[in-house]
Amino acid sequence: MSDNREIRIKVPVLTRVEGEGALELDLLNGAIENLKLRIFEPPRLFEKFVEGYERDQVIDMVARICGICPVAYQMSAVQAFERLSDFTPGRWVREMRRVMYCGEWLQSHALHIHLLAAPDFLGFESAIAMAADYPDAVRRGLRLQTLGNDLIALFGGRSVHPVGICVGGFYRAPELKAVEAILQRLRAALPEAEALVAWTSALDFPDDEQSFISVALSDPEEYAIDRGNLVSGQGLDTDIRYFESHFKEVQSPHSTAFHSELDGRPYLTGPLARLNLNFHQLPEPVRRAMDGCGIVFPSHNMFHSIVARALELYFALFEAVRLLEHYQAPQRSREEVTPVEGNAFGCTEAPRGILWHRYDVDDRGIVRYARIVPPTSQNQGRIEEDIRLSLEKMGLDREEEEIRLRAEQVIRNYDPCISCATHFLRLKISHR
Amino acid sequence: MIRLIGVGSPFGADRLGWLAIDYLERCSLPGCELIKLDRPGSALLDYFRGETELVLIDAVRLDDTPGGVALFQPAELERLSCLTSSHGLGVAEAVSLAAQLGELPAGLHVIGIQAGADLSRPPLLDGSALETLVRRLL
Repeated sequence: MSDNREIRIKVPVLTRVEGEGALELDLLNGAIENLKLRIFEPPRLFEKFVEGYERDQVIDMVARICGICPVAYQMSAVQAFERLSDFTPGRWVREMRRVMYCGEWLQSHALHIHLLAAPDFLGFESAIAMAADYPDAVRRGLRLQTLGNDLIALFGGRSVHPVGICVGGFYRAPELKAVEAILQRLRAALPEAEALVAWTSALDFPDDEQSFISVALSDPEEYAIDRGNLVSGQGLDTDIRYFESHFKEVQSPHSTAFHSELDGRPYLTGPLARLNLNFHQLPEPVRRAMDGCGIVFPSHNMFHSIVARALELYFALFEAVRLLEHYQAPQRSREEVTPVEGNAFGCTEAPRGILWHRYDVDDRGIVRYARIVPPTSQNQGRIEEDIRLSLEKMGLDREEEEIRLRAEQVIRNYDPCISCATHFLRLKISHR
Repeated sequence: MIRLIGVGSPFGADRLGWLAIDYLERCSLPGCELIKLDRPGSALLDYFRGETELVLIDAVRLDDTPGGVALFQPAELERLSCLTSSHGLGVAEAVSLAAQLGELPAGLHVIGIQAGADLSRPPLLDGSALETLVRRLL
């Protein structure tokens, strides 16, 4: 096929992603001339909304940013407020928050693996089409997603925009009977989750090794979800309060989401980055699920993200079982935490990667300024870099449809949550 | 017992599914379970399980009187444009997925409420037409 082609690929609305985005790709004489991941969903302006509200109100408000990862928003916020007051939650609160977070990883990863990513690998245009040939796989995804949702609802009252978390703990503790019921279901799902790791590992992956920086939280005591330092594969290891010293957000005209850079370079956050940095901290039975799968972490092939999600899904189940096995309702589910004036920083691992919050709070606990950096905007630069490298490796002399499909698949490897990412736009009004 | 689900979101005309359930709550309908869901995506299938009779109520965009109601069969959903979705899985896609998996309730009815051209706010719901339609299905 001649290279003297001019190809303009426009994917006006990306499918199987959360929110509204588009891809613009121009190829000229066998080279990429223009590549833009356009994010044009209206900016959410949540950072302004929360100004003037007190801490517990903000925790419920930020849950509204995303229907898929509301727990992550609540956890980063509550961590920020508690750290500012120098309050360390007791063991029960810490463990139950981790369980609730496992519920979010479980439902989000199950959704992405089965309904969003797997159709790409198996050659279907949608999960609906895939369900005809792989009904059991789709049912498994739905079952695991429901289980994750129910685990969130156990603590949050409901799975979408839950309302259970507050400064100092939870508004209420689940009853033992409810915990025992879900524990039984979690245990029963473990073999299915383990088998899912092998199922995803057996998919056909393009050979697409790339050099990139992985960034994740890391904690010496456990596989980091809701606490830890910011670390990178290039040696960064810093408290989350210094995020702004290392990570810079830059505006791009084609997107209503920021691009984020670490020391001037794009970077990856999310399941693959977490496993690249923290795989050794997974419990041994979870690590063993990778034996014989032919994929080794760390991996620098982004197509292995689906396997990373499967392994984390298995871990989330395993961890939730471990933490709920000896459940006892506490005498009190929350402690009073006196507000302190200052700058509050929180960072936790949302299903898609690190979710960093900063709140400037007054001595009554009222938020005066907020800054929220979600994972998808952090990944945006890396996604564009990845599309370019992946297409060049595949060969730009391919059919237009093949190029488009590959580019879309690369984007979906990141499970972008565009609704979360569009938050930055500054409003400028000129009065005459 | 028949389950009626209003699907919607807090945004503009997409609230119609919830407003319909609010209206029906005041109608003292016998043997009904009324549920509001916020963009459930594939989780809608959880609410299908074990049900034989089910009514879905959602805002739709058709060139008709804003606020008016109409009854559709599940197969007709493809031609309807529902207003919001989660990860591209709106009501139509969730119903298609359930059908593909053989998990569609035998007696599934869809009530669409016309959103009108202005999606920024819900039009006035024709509540009496909605109640008449629902009572016919009971």
